[in-house]
Amino acid sequence: MSQLLFHLPILVILLPLAATLLCPLLSHFRLDWGKRAVIWGLFGAAVCAALQLCEVVNSGEAIHYYIGGWPPVYGIEFVIDGLSGLIVLLVAIGAFTTALFSSPFERRERDGTTVRSAGYYSMLAFLSLGLLGMASTGDAFNLYVFMEITAISGYGLIAVGESKGPIAAFRYLLIGTIGACMYLMGAGFLYAATGTLNMTDLAETIAQNDLANSPLIIFSIACMIIGFGIKMALFPLHGWQPAAHSYAHPGADPMIAGIMIKVPAYAMLRFFFFVFARDSRVMELFFDFIGVLAVLGVLFGSLKALRYETYNKILAYSSIGQVGYIAMGFAIGNYYGLLGAVLHIVSHAFMKAGLFYTSGALKYKYGIHEITQLGQVYRSMPVTALAMVVCALSMIGLPPFAGFFSKWYLALGAVQNGQYLFVAVLIASSLLSAIYFFRIFEQMFMAARSAKTEAGPDAPAAPATEPAAPDTAPDAPAAPAAAAGRLHLELPWQMLAPLLIVTAAIILLGLGNAYIAGEILAPALSEVTL
Amino acid sequence: MEERKSRRRLAAGLLLVILLVGIGAVRVGKFLPTVGALDTPANTNISQYYISNAVADTHAHNIVTAVLADYRGFDTLFETCVMLLSGVAVWTILSAKEKVEKRTDKEMIAYYRTSIFGSMLMDGAFRIVVPIILIYGMYVLFHGEISLGGGFQAGALLACAYMLNRIVPKFDVRRKQKAREELGIITAGLGAFFFALTGVLPMFNGGRFMELGKLPFPAASEAELHADGILMVEIGVMICVAGVIITILEVVLERTDFDD
Repeated sequence: MSQLLFHLPILVILLPLAATLLCPLLSHFRLDWGKRAVIWGLFGAAVCAALQLCEVVNSGEAIHYYIGGWPPVYGIEFVIDGLSGLIVLLVAIGAFTTALFSSPFERRERDGTTVRSAGYYSMLAFLSLGLLGMASTGDAFNLYVFMEITAISGYGLIAVGESKGPIAAFRYLLIGTIGACMYLMGAGFLYAATGTLNMTDLAETIAQNDLANSPLIIFSIACMIIGFGIKMALFPLHGWQPAAHSYAHPGADPMIAGIMIKVPAYAMLRFFFFVFARDSRVMELFFDFIGVLAVLGVLFGSLKALRYETYNKILAYSSIGQVGYIAMGFAIGNYYGLLGAVLHIVSHAFMKAGLFYTSGALKYKYGIHEITQLGQVYRSMPVTALAMVVCALSMIGLPPFAGFFSKWYLALGAVQNGQYLFVAVLIASSLLSAIYFFRIFEQMFMAARSAKTEAGPDAPAAPATEPAAPDTAPDAPAAPAAAAGRLHLELPWQMLAPLLIVTAAIILLGLGNAYIAGEILAPALSEVTL
Repeated sequence: MEERKSRRRLAAGLLLVILLVGIGAVRVGKFLPTVGALDTPANTNISQYYISNAVADTHAHNIVTAVLADYRGFDTLFETCVMLLSGVAVWTILSAKEKVEKRTDKEMIAYYRTSIFGSMLMDGAFRIVVPIILIYGMYVLFHGEISLGGGFQAGALLACAYMLNRIVPKFDVRRKQKAREELGIITAGLGAFFFALTGVLPMFNGGRFMELGKLPFPAASEAELHADGILMVEIGVMICVAGVIITILEVVLERTDFDD
């Protein structure tokens, strides 16, 4: 048992890896097996991630796992401290729920060959393990390798989506490749200046040799801002994001929109606060620059979201604004600012994933894309409506939910630094997001009922005679029981479970934010912020 | 109109980024260390360790192979996965496209007889060249430890032999085997799995992931085990690369009509 616990950081990667490598073979024998292997692999990864985070919190020090047994500078190491452990757990939970959520889509799209099913699940597992690896690694080049895996599986999952998917994927491919190149160039300049790739060693070498103001390091920082900025859709570099998030495969969209843009943000934090010398004048300049981008991005995203009627487009533009909050936390740069940024990475990942789960559920059941089609949908899909309301209120920033606390810490940090502009922007953009989310609520709860037809054949679990009822008479109480004595659910359970998990997570994160801030993040963050 | 405007803005933005980076690179360029100079950080820090210890640690006389497959073998595992992933992505995305009707064998042979590409000479040369390519592939694989070569190149050579088999016209009905589309991707997945398994085996013997010195095989020394491990890694890479190239070739050939 202790052996197993010792290997936890690598098991988080290995379980999904084994599942995805064997997925085509298993799907060849039985169509369900590949899918199940991936879902169970990701479940195992989530359990391992939770266990390792417990271990880090209990022991109070970071886990270092030297891959290949080579001591740090010569080989690759995984570093799990409170910060990266939390992000790994977040990614693992998101990946597991998304794999579960995609299952009904896969069953509907089945066309007799193994291609769609095996390929889709293989790419989804690769996306998850790339993000898990990016969060756990302590090596600058290893980060690039995982970034490539994330990017390529992202292109694939966007391209297999809706009819405009391939175009969105191609655009993302062009821009995303530039981002990856910029990061690689930054890492190359770092290597030229220091001769090492290990992040801890990089930080020590830069501090010892007083390299903070060397042109190589400055250029490398600039490259990394562009690289990570493209990957996390920071304001002027967001061009790929709205189309990619709107047209990706609806099953994988929660992962792509919710989590894929958060992990580069975490990596940016890891580099800028843990590797580069924080107190040099150059870094101050860069943080001012990021602050300007953040303010512009928050306002741009929120205003642009007001213009659209398409549900996914509203969510995508709102993401640009929310990534701006995270960047704002970096620009504030004190303890509360960073705490707010990390909490916002976590809470926004859950909120946006939750909203895209509802979007996927609406597409699955009724094929709804526009918010004008939403009329009275809460009557036939109460759980979906509940999840949407909780996520949206949390995005606006109402107190019991997670979104409030991350914004609260950001405001606290800004006030502490005397940057009142940031506070004003925070409040203004919260009001704007209230406007666009209440437009959705208005359509959903108050507008007249719109005609909706169930899309596609429903899951085989529901008997053929039943689905007619909610269609023609949505007012009637939900049919109590199907012929087999099962409850008649509004959606397959694989879709309801993620919705409920995300809703619970948002409430729990809101209530438990003091624990997360004090016990998990404080030891990791306090060493870089004094 | 809207679309074109946004596209133009995107192009302008990209151009600006490229210009800024270009100016930055030119200005920073003179601070870069001279290529090959001995006193630069890149040459004095960790590379000294590799140069002096790689052969003793791993029995691989090619230091590049030692770094690639052993010291940083974890990176190579995921580079292999990037290959596999590109195959999976092509396979999945193109599955939505209709397959093209293929000609019968007889029509095919008649067509080849009239085309420039098909001739007895090509057919005869093919039979001589393919075995040599296969042998050379194996040589590259096993020679990777000592000089240039390794799994990626060997895999490409194996796939090359298969590709010739598919492309060169066949006048002999016996020689028309072709792999099923998904067989390629399954093989590629198994190759990468073999690589991962090489890394997992030491974990049952008290080592860490990819700690090749703790492979549970009988061997004279730890360095010997490292050499065995490197060979297993290269074999896994070779299978994966060959599988992916064959998959991409088959998937594209099934959906393209090159004849007309």
